[in-house]
Amino acid sequence: MPRVAITGIGIVSPFGRGKRAAVDALRAGRSGVRLIESIDTAALNCRIGGEVPREAHEGLVKGHDRFTRFALIAAEEAVEEARFAAGNFDAERVGSIVGTGMGGCEMLDAGYKRIYGDNAPRVPPTTIAWSMYNAAASAVATRFGAKGLAYAVVSACASSAHAIGQAFRAIRSGEMDAVLAGGSDAPLTFGSIRSWESMRVMAIDNEHPEAACRPFSADRKGFVLAEGAAVFVLESFESAERRNQPIVGEVVGFGMTSDAGHITDPSADGAARAIALALRDGALTAADVGYINAHGTATRANDATETKAMKAALGERAYAIPISSTKSMHGHAMGASGAIEIACSLAALNDGVIPPTINLDVPDPECDLDYVPNAARQARVPLFLSSSFGFGGMNGVVAVRTVHGL
Amino acid sequence: MTRDEIERKLIDIVRHEKSDIPDEKLTAATPLAEAGIDSLDALTILFAIEEEFHVSIPDDQARSMKTFGDMIDIVEALVE
Repeated sequence: MPRVAITGIGIVSPFGRGKRAAVDALRAGRSGVRLIESIDTAALNCRIGGEVPREAHEGLVKGHDRFTRFALIAAEEAVEEARFAAGNFDAERVGSIVGTGMGGCEMLDAGYKRIYGDNAPRVPPTTIAWSMYNAAASAVATRFGAKGLAYAVVSACASSAHAIGQAFRAIRSGEMDAVLAGGSDAPLTFGSIRSWESMRVMAIDNEHPEAACRPFSADRKGFVLAEGAAVFVLESFESAERRNQPIVGEVVGFGMTSDAGHITDPSADGAARAIALALRDGALTAADVGYINAHGTATRANDATETKAMKAALGERAYAIPISSTKSMHGHAMGASGAIEIACSLAALNDGVIPPTINLDVPDPECDLDYVPNAARQARVPLFLSSSFGFGGMNGVVAVRTVHGL
Repeated sequence: MTRDEIERKLIDIVRHEKSDIPDEKLTAATPLAEAGIDSLDALTILFAIEEEFHVSIPDDQARSMKTFGDMIDIVEALVE
């Protein structure tokens, strides 16, 4: 079976534009969560978020919904690193799979405000085409000339983990030579934040935004909504070698499961099975795992359940693996989170840095693993797992080899 | 509103939506497609016209609009 190389990483996140900005923040344990500036939050209870800074995206892409603009900015970086040009490939064997949890929130929110708030007689004619969930996958395919398989994956917070997993399978099966794969979400709109407020699962600390998200800490209060995108160039080893293109990582395994349980309460069983499947898929054992980027939302329910799941899937070895939730710094970018976390993990680990879990101040007896509290570590990690567990009980775990494991 | 005023406003709208159209393509007789205006661009321009002139352009008129001159005619008839 073809091995699947990562040859390009692109990310736009609350840390700014590009992997350099992300790695700098992760190394320093610096939060990207701040007071939201892109919308008027005066009437909201929650006025903080992992917002992509204005200078990281404004003016770079014309038109589209915000989530598609993010996807295009991230894809541009990945394509540049991978020296990807459709002309170097059989375009019909290049795909585009971009996951999103919430799609075109900017267009929908603005459209509904006009219709119901302003009683306006019409909305922009781009409302449908720009808000649809596959708009980002389409824009990436169009921009870079990918004429093979193309679709969006929509599975809440597991969307982009699933997207990368599907891209991995499409290349491994020989169906595609390369896939631009990742995820994007831009849910920091008035309507979306208000809807999340109703669920009472957000950490609302408008006075100390950077301290709001506290994964695995006993005093955690919930997650912080965020936005951003990450896109990878995945291609077969054969393709990368033919182009003499440096390989910066390798997707080696993928597992996905359904809890078939509760729509919002996570299950340890579903998460544990996804971890075990990812290992089995990559012919790996727990001993191969050098780091885990946890889902780590900082909700009461997730962190304890996820800890149980890691113990169930990895046994005693779970206690020896450095685990962190980078959501403590970039927040929870919904369907983009899996891709953002793989990008953060791979870029940081390739640089010899294990990202920390910040704001982990109060130990929780139910969360008793090594979460790399508050300070990054230097290490050469050959392989990591990235876990994403979405509402609806949809789980995805991706196993990735770093440059140290190739 | 005179026809000249309508035309000037329409040029502003088209320029705002599609800044890359060369001047020589912005004539009454140029087919929209030839000016590089695709179907979604045309809809966006119609939307902007409706907002600017506070008119509502019926679907059949919108579909029959082939040139920049057609746009001027339609708006002129609606704002009278």
